[in-house]
Amino acid sequence: MTTPSNIAWLLIVTAAVAAVGAWRRWRLWRAGQPASVDWIGGLLAMPRRYLVDVHEVVAREPASARMHVHVAGGLAAILALLVLIYLLDLQSWWLRLALLVAVLMMWRGLRMLVERRRAPPAHLSRGGFQRLPDVLRLLAIGLGVLAVFLVLGNREVGGIVGLALFATLALGMAELAVATWGGPLKHAFAGALHLAFHPRPERFSGEKRSTALKPLDLAAARLGAERPIDFKWNQLLGFDACVQCGRCEQMCPAYAAGQPLNPKKLIQDLVLGFSMTGDDRRYTGSPHPGQAPGDRRGAPTAPIVPELVAPETLWACTTCRACVYECPMMIEHVDAILDMRRHLTLAQGATPAKAVNVLEELRQTDNSGGQDPKARIDWAVDQRLRLMRDVRQADVLLWLGDGAFDRRVQRTLRALFKLLRAAGVDFAVLGEEELDCGDLARRLGDEAAFQSLARRNLAILGRYRFNIIVTADPHAYHSLKNEYPALGGHFRVMHHTGYLAGLQRQGRLKIAASTDARPVSYHDPCYLGRYNGEVAAPRALLGALGVPLKEMARSGLRSRCCGGGGGAAITDVPGKLRIPDMRMEDARAAGAEIVAVACPQCTVMLEGVIGPRPEVRDVAELLAEAVVE
Amino acid sequence: MAQFDALLKPYSLKHLTLRNRVMSSSHEPSYTQQARLTERYVRYHVEKARGGIGLTMFGGSCCVSPDSPASFGQLACMDDSVIPEFQAFAARVHEHGAALMIQLTHMGRRTRWDVGDWLPPVSSGSRREPAHRSWPKEMEEHDIRRVQRDYAEAVRRCREGGLDGLELSAAHGHLIDQFWSPSANNRRDRYGGSLANRMRFGLEVFEEIRKTVGDDYIVGIRMSGDEMIEEGLTPEDCLAIARAYAASGMVDFINVLGGSAADFRSLANVIPEMWSQVAPYLYLPSAIRNEVGIPVMHAGKIPDVATAARAIEDGHVDLVAMTRAQIADPHLVRKLMEDRVDDIRQCVGAGYCIDRIYIGKDALCIQNGATGREQTMPHEIARARRRRKVVVVGGGPAGLEAARVCAARGHAVVLYEAQAKLGGQIALAARAPWRESLSGIVRWLELQARKLGVDIRLGTSATAAAIAADEPDAVVIACGGQPCFDDWLKGSEHALSVFDILGGRAQPAPTVLMYDDNGQHPGPSCAEFLANAGSAVEFVTPDRLPGEELGGTNIWPHMRNLYEKGVIFSPDLRLTEIYAEGEKKVAVLRNEFTLREEERAVDQVVVEHGTLPVDDLYLALRPDSVNLGETDLAALLDGRPQEVRSNPAGRYQLFRVGDAVASRNIHAAIYDSLRLCKEL
Repeated sequence: MTTPSNIAWLLIVTAAVAAVGAWRRWRLWRAGQPASVDWIGGLLAMPRRYLVDVHEVVAREPASARMHVHVAGGLAAILALLVLIYLLDLQSWWLRLALLVAVLMMWRGLRMLVERRRAPPAHLSRGGFQRLPDVLRLLAIGLGVLAVFLVLGNREVGGIVGLALFATLALGMAELAVATWGGPLKHAFAGALHLAFHPRPERFSGEKRSTALKPLDLAAARLGAERPIDFKWNQLLGFDACVQCGRCEQMCPAYAAGQPLNPKKLIQDLVLGFSMTGDDRRYTGSPHPGQAPGDRRGAPTAPIVPELVAPETLWACTTCRACVYECPMMIEHVDAILDMRRHLTLAQGATPAKAVNVLEELRQTDNSGGQDPKARIDWAVDQRLRLMRDVRQADVLLWLGDGAFDRRVQRTLRALFKLLRAAGVDFAVLGEEELDCGDLARRLGDEAAFQSLARRNLAILGRYRFNIIVTADPHAYHSLKNEYPALGGHFRVMHHTGYLAGLQRQGRLKIAASTDARPVSYHDPCYLGRYNGEVAAPRALLGALGVPLKEMARSGLRSRCCGGGGGAAITDVPGKLRIPDMRMEDARAAGAEIVAVACPQCTVMLEGVIGPRPEVRDVAELLAEAVVE
Repeated sequence: MAQFDALLKPYSLKHLTLRNRVMSSSHEPSYTQQARLTERYVRYHVEKARGGIGLTMFGGSCCVSPDSPASFGQLACMDDSVIPEFQAFAARVHEHGAALMIQLTHMGRRTRWDVGDWLPPVSSGSRREPAHRSWPKEMEEHDIRRVQRDYAEAVRRCREGGLDGLELSAAHGHLIDQFWSPSANNRRDRYGGSLANRMRFGLEVFEEIRKTVGDDYIVGIRMSGDEMIEEGLTPEDCLAIARAYAASGMVDFINVLGGSAADFRSLANVIPEMWSQVAPYLYLPSAIRNEVGIPVMHAGKIPDVATAARAIEDGHVDLVAMTRAQIADPHLVRKLMEDRVDDIRQCVGAGYCIDRIYIGKDALCIQNGATGREQTMPHEIARARRRRKVVVVGGGPAGLEAARVCAARGHAVVLYEAQAKLGGQIALAARAPWRESLSGIVRWLELQARKLGVDIRLGTSATAAAIAADEPDAVVIACGGQPCFDDWLKGSEHALSVFDILGGRAQPAPTVLMYDDNGQHPGPSCAEFLANAGSAVEFVTPDRLPGEELGGTNIWPHMRNLYEKGVIFSPDLRLTEIYAEGEKKVAVLRNEFTLREEERAVDQVVVEHGTLPVDDLYLALRPDSVNLGETDLAALLDGRPQEVRSNPAGRYQLFRVGDAVASRNIHAAIYDSLRLCKEL
């Protein structure tokens, strides 16, 4: 029997069941480590984060956004209206009409949801999500009938029709009630709280970018995340917000290469780990390539590796942040991976063999190649570089990076010297005083090595006077600019493309039009683009050259990684394809005969692609050929 | 260390820091005019500097005194007018990060009396120099003082000219080593006799130099580690000399070579070519480096970076001279730095560069048309503004170079080669004994062509129809030539060609008359091939000597081998007719001086007379070409594009290069193509 009091009770029971589930869930999250959280500010900021920041991500797939706006918007409006009509007993005809409109809106979204779920693509998880179109349509039909009766003035519906209607409504509401118990609508509940208590609230203000790893307290009893509960509680909350939409899976270069990493599965593994004890048989999305579902098992206090997550899953990550950038639930996959890597490297010494060698070389020589540190600028005898040690001050301190030991990168650096000289820039280098910036060690989980290198670099930098640090290495750029501040180093840092673009705008750097008519694709380095938002300057420089620029399907902030970040080139986890090969294929598909790059790592990775392929040239190299001296 | 890192390590030579260990030793390409530097000379070295060399040394045998005249186009450093020229030269080399040094010398008796100022040559003694037939005057005390002063003054000019340093030549039988070597020094005063006495002249030269320019200018010495001639300096002598000179504290480095240059044999041995193993004399600088505490350099057939890196890594030398290697590819170091070792055009040791000097011409590289022509020819091919379709017919040196250059310009290139493999006449030439290294020319060109995406169609004879189907914008005919004796040799149907023998179409018979009126490599090569196969060979030529067009370093291995294999030489005879007599062929030979005829009855007569162009395809394509096959020579020489449009209805440009135009050599074929195609 559908009566106002029955419906009011239905609402109350739904809320009560949900509240119990929420409490249980809350307890699971809070088993994680403490985190400093702005409780009130976060809650107040949540709606805006949802409506602005989340929408920006979701809207990259307009169809999904339309679906979600209609379904979620309709459902939210419906719930509010039901509360007004049945719990507060407001009798306005307008509210009833509004309810009908909200139901129609939700219905419109549900038709899209039905389409989406008819034959869901591989990146969408199935399971409970597959019943949503039916359950929600049932709910919508019930609500629609209810609203029609209301609009016609019938608050009560009796007989067999009323019974059926109530049953329909009850069934639909049950889906909402189990959201907090792990139902497919869990994301709405956990997602909202995740937005409020996000581990990186900086993502929602200012430049809306927060990509620097946070320093690890090396004196802590437990280093990194060994067990699920070693994550901060709000990280666990973040994992729980995952809606399994698979956008991360679609964008992950390691996944595409068939390496055993699916970021979505990784997050689900961690959810499994902190929320239940058992195996991953109930996971209904794509597995980690090469791993069968059912293999993974975990518990909140059991070590994550290797039972819950295989080590090669963690070492396959290039830290490109494509997953993070695509995640509509704002989950921080890379931070989680780094927390687990930190534990493996610092507590267990379980870094993969080749990476162990590199870390050892870093310890011995302060450069990742184990080169004679005194030979850092041997190759540049003919460049007659000015050393900071001699000149003490310069406008620009040019940070060479460990690429200085690599013959390929030396070509880029020579081109950069030529450009800086042509523009009359007063620059000097640290020469053999420069140490590896620590990025590689840090991404391999060796926070101790990173902090040691960074502190010693800071001590050296502190001896000299300069206005700005310029570097051709986006990894050094990111470390110096974003990660050294936490250790007390505050410098103005620019990537060479940004700096050169500035010189070009000011008219100090004069570029003639290139005579080479071959089409160029620019490959955005992750640590320049996604990590630092710089996608315009390199393109402005290529524009000044007048070369025909052909954008790859994935470029700018959504660029695909070269495969070289995060130590992935060293850990070299086997897959079916090589990431740089795939990236080169992107360039070929765009019709490029030259791939312009702006990162030594990208250069080396993309040049490692065998067989006929477009030429790989740093932006500086292309400019140096056309610079007016 | 990464591969070849040893070569790229900087090196401190006294106060000078060299960017790497690769150098070019002093040599004279004969690019001078009136013994002065020319723009051509400067550009030749600037190109090496651009190409990444650490130290380039110029002025092979740059002379310090008027009685050491420039007998083969070398420089003179005899008055202060050279100073500004040196300054400008040094600035241009330094701009590209390389160091620049010179070699100074007095040639002593190793020169001619009938050139320059016609002054009588002087020497440590009075014995005649075999290679130049000069009878020297035994130097008197005043000659010694004068020449020592000349050395010092010349060094001062180099220093004021901004050069980073220099070496004195005491090798190849120049004046200083004429004093050292008992083969030249037969005097009885304090400059002759004991080794200490014989070393005195050179040490006094250094004393004079140090008095004039001080101790802080880099002055080294070039010397042999073993003269390898009768009465010459032994390795022990050379070691003693090196020790003594190093111990004097006046010598900053020693540049060691092996052998001397007294005659054909020693000349060929001091500049070892493709007949020789790689780095044959590396043990000589190695031994000296063990004994002296000063830097040691060495040149001597080090054609590849692997050998060079080994020489450094294993501690044999401090700096490695890759002189001919960088004549073949002045960008050798840059390619090494760019990890493009397989793009290095490796010297094949043909000796074309040095032998041209010995026949009074300028140095050119057999396989690199741009070396020594930097003012007009590019070492790096610029891309064309418009991509065109080019069809090249023939995969010999001319065709491969045309394909390479066109592809590097960004054109779409199809190359037809009728044979199953590339190389053309080089493939034949490389089949001769000790000439195999010539195939390196083809290997490099083929690799480059393939890397640049040339569509190489092997075993495919080009036809006019096939070419029309390719719809080319330009067609380059490079299908070479074939031997043909019909129009001058009666009974030519009885003659075989070098192509028949080296190509395996005819098996060598017991008795063969090898007739060569071309004077180049094919005749002697083929004769040796025949002799190796067991034939009794008579080598007949209308020239006064076999191999008359060959230079000093190539004639020796040919003649040594032919003599050793029992080949009989009959010069001054011209072949006029061949007729059959039973199983035998009778060759009619006419003496060039008496016109008297004589005959030889042999199993085979093999004739080397160059080739005639294979032109049927060219003639078939000509009517439909826009230029009717015409090459605008003025445009070609000025470096302008070919724009002849004598047949506006034509569908493509049509050109011929290499022996498809006229029988010449490998260098001519490659230069033809480079010169034409860089503007295509």
